[in-house]
Amino acid sequence: MPDDFSKEVLASLIDAEALYDQAPCGYLSFSADGTVLKINQTLLTWLGYRADEVIFQKNFSEFLSKGGQIHYEMFFRPMLNVSGTVKELSYELAKRDGTTFHVLFSAVAIRNAQNAILAVNAIITDNTHRKHYEREILKAKKLAEEEKRTFQFLADLIPEMIWTADAAGEIDYINERFIHYFALPDKVFSVNRILTKIQPDDRKRFIASWAESLLSVNDLHIELQLQNSSGQYEWHAVKAVPYLNEGRELVKWFGSCTNIDVHKRALKQKDEFISIASHELKTPITSLMGALQLLDRMKNDPSPKMLPSLIERANKNVKKVNTLVGDLLNVSQLNAGQLHLNKARFKLGPMIFNCCEHILAEGRFEILIEGDDSLEAFADQTRIEQVVINFINNAVKYAPASKQIFIAYTAGQGFAKISVADKGPGIPKDKLQHLFDRYYRVDSAGSQYSGLGLGLYICAEIIQRHSGEIGVDSQLGEGSTFWFTLPCSS
Amino acid sequence: MISVLKRNNVQVFGDGTQVMLFAHGFGCDQQSWKFIIDAFTPDHKIVLFDYVGSGKSDISQYTSAKYGKLDGYAQDVLDVCAALDLKEVIFVGHSVSAMIGLLAAVKQPEYFKKLIFIGPSPRYLNDEGYKGGFERADLESLFEFMDSNYLGWSSAMAPAIMGNVDRPELGEFLTNSFCATDPAIAREFARVTFFSDNRADLSKLTVQSLTLQCAEDIIAPLEVGAYMRNNTPGNEMVVLKATGHCPHISEPAATIEAIKAYI
Repeated sequence: MPDDFSKEVLASLIDAEALYDQAPCGYLSFSADGTVLKINQTLLTWLGYRADEVIFQKNFSEFLSKGGQIHYEMFFRPMLNVSGTVKELSYELAKRDGTTFHVLFSAVAIRNAQNAILAVNAIITDNTHRKHYEREILKAKKLAEEEKRTFQFLADLIPEMIWTADAAGEIDYINERFIHYFALPDKVFSVNRILTKIQPDDRKRFIASWAESLLSVNDLHIELQLQNSSGQYEWHAVKAVPYLNEGRELVKWFGSCTNIDVHKRALKQKDEFISIASHELKTPITSLMGALQLLDRMKNDPSPKMLPSLIERANKNVKKVNTLVGDLLNVSQLNAGQLHLNKARFKLGPMIFNCCEHILAEGRFEILIEGDDSLEAFADQTRIEQVVINFINNAVKYAPASKQIFIAYTAGQGFAKISVADKGPGIPKDKLQHLFDRYYRVDSAGSQYSGLGLGLYICAEIIQRHSGEIGVDSQLGEGSTFWFTLPCSS
Repeated sequence: MISVLKRNNVQVFGDGTQVMLFAHGFGCDQQSWKFIIDAFTPDHKIVLFDYVGSGKSDISQYTSAKYGKLDGYAQDVLDVCAALDLKEVIFVGHSVSAMIGLLAAVKQPEYFKKLIFIGPSPRYLNDEGYKGGFERADLESLFEFMDSNYLGWSSAMAPAIMGNVDRPELGEFLTNSFCATDPAIAREFARVTFFSDNRADLSKLTVQSLTLQCAEDIIAPLEVGAYMRNNTPGNEMVVLKATGHCPHISEPAATIEAIKAYI
């Protein structure tokens, strides 16, 4: 410990006035009404004034903006009166050049014996940088919140059902699509509730797979049927991937449920089609083989009576196979986008008459044709004939009791319309919309009619490629009218 | 039905019979009267209260629908009068409470004997042919100062930056306000106060009144005091030497003297 003398010497080294003037903060004293009494050099430098311009010349409130002045009168002064101090008020001070800077303002009141305020001592710290950081932090925070909202938005609106689960496999988030799909009340969900939405046979498989994924921390991938809000089961591919943090610890599972119902059903339909097609091809081939066997047996002694009928039978069946294979080829061409159109200008009337010849030759049906003979189309004539023949054949096939078939070709606004009508039993409404679908047969269950169910699909594709429209109007008990349009220039 | 006395934190004391009802201004509560009420307690019955949303009132009773207009606050005054069965009251209102008292007295003059307005203003915003003292931008900057200064810098910034910090007990952290008011309510009260226009109500007053005007008050300048006197029937004006907007706090002696001279 230094002795008393040294203490005095050491203390004398401290220049209180210099400390006051050069402090890293502003010092300001003013009277009760705001008149500046004393101010340090730091604050003068900040404000851009000389001491003699300020002391007893300026009122503290002159350095405040109008808003600051109101705040000073309404809050600062009453507060100082009541509590004797104010702490860290955030104000803006105006410099001589008119610019402003942010300060934190703390003050203590000096009172007389009657408790009236004589003067106020204030400490002012430059807060500009802090304000700047504050703004940056708030900006960053706002940005982060916006990002979060964007992702939330994305997660909610993405057409997939998305969910997350904690490390233990407890689902802790599901997006809007998920909630919507199951119509979960009040967005409340639980693992058990979701399990009840899985088709019972699939449920066991799912529980086993999920348990296995949780245990091994491997991706989950399972296809199962989920019950939607209207009670129907739809196929979904449920996937989940584990998320590991930097320390390779499992923290979360990110999962999705993709609706693959259309895909699944298309596959099933294709399987069914292959079975139908095989069956359809098998029938004429069996019949053909029978005819050939008989021919083989009588090759040394051909029966003049049997021979022509067997050859006719063989021909008929080969034709049938040829037609079926032709349809299949058409479809694969359409699928591969290889249907080329050889467009030319031709008259519709003769083209339609050509299409009727094979039926008229049989003599079982009467075909009534009505139309504008001058009507021409610019199209692939062979393909259009294919469509018309298909319509006529369908009329013969599905409305055998109707002995009359009506064909009309008329001009519309920029298009020609061709329609084929029968007076058959008509087609139920719920089946109408599927008629032009691939592999669709009106009575597939009863297999009453043979064929691949490809004809109308091919027709629709041909007309579509001509930029025309195709459709059917039908009344039960009254008949059906199949029609299509072709754009025409004049 | 919650009791009005509890809702408005009503305090009644004093040894006289003549009732003096003190109504605090914006940003304050009944504590703001502590420097002058002692002068009146020997001869008067003093009634103090906090407006709903201010001080120790029942904040749960605050609704923007009711207190989004000064009429809502005027109803508080009338409710207190009715609850205590007051008659012939001397009403002392500071700042915005001057207009609140005026609205109450226009509605039910029977409760009031005299009104004393400290730093009143029927309209703070300048208007064509009227000088209220403020432009809209001035007030917007005031609101900004209020927001940033409500709880002191750190307490104001922390929740804004860090998000859902549990709100500190109000009052405990109110470093820069001498009365406890919810910041959201304070903001709304400030807007109601500063954006109201009661010039048309002045002429409806039938109770006599006094305007106590400070010599230098940027919130209620001399012109506004003169406007009050010229447009309010039965209004007198006394200009105090005090500066600022709260003479009852900064110059209690002069304020007491002026009030006593009037009553």
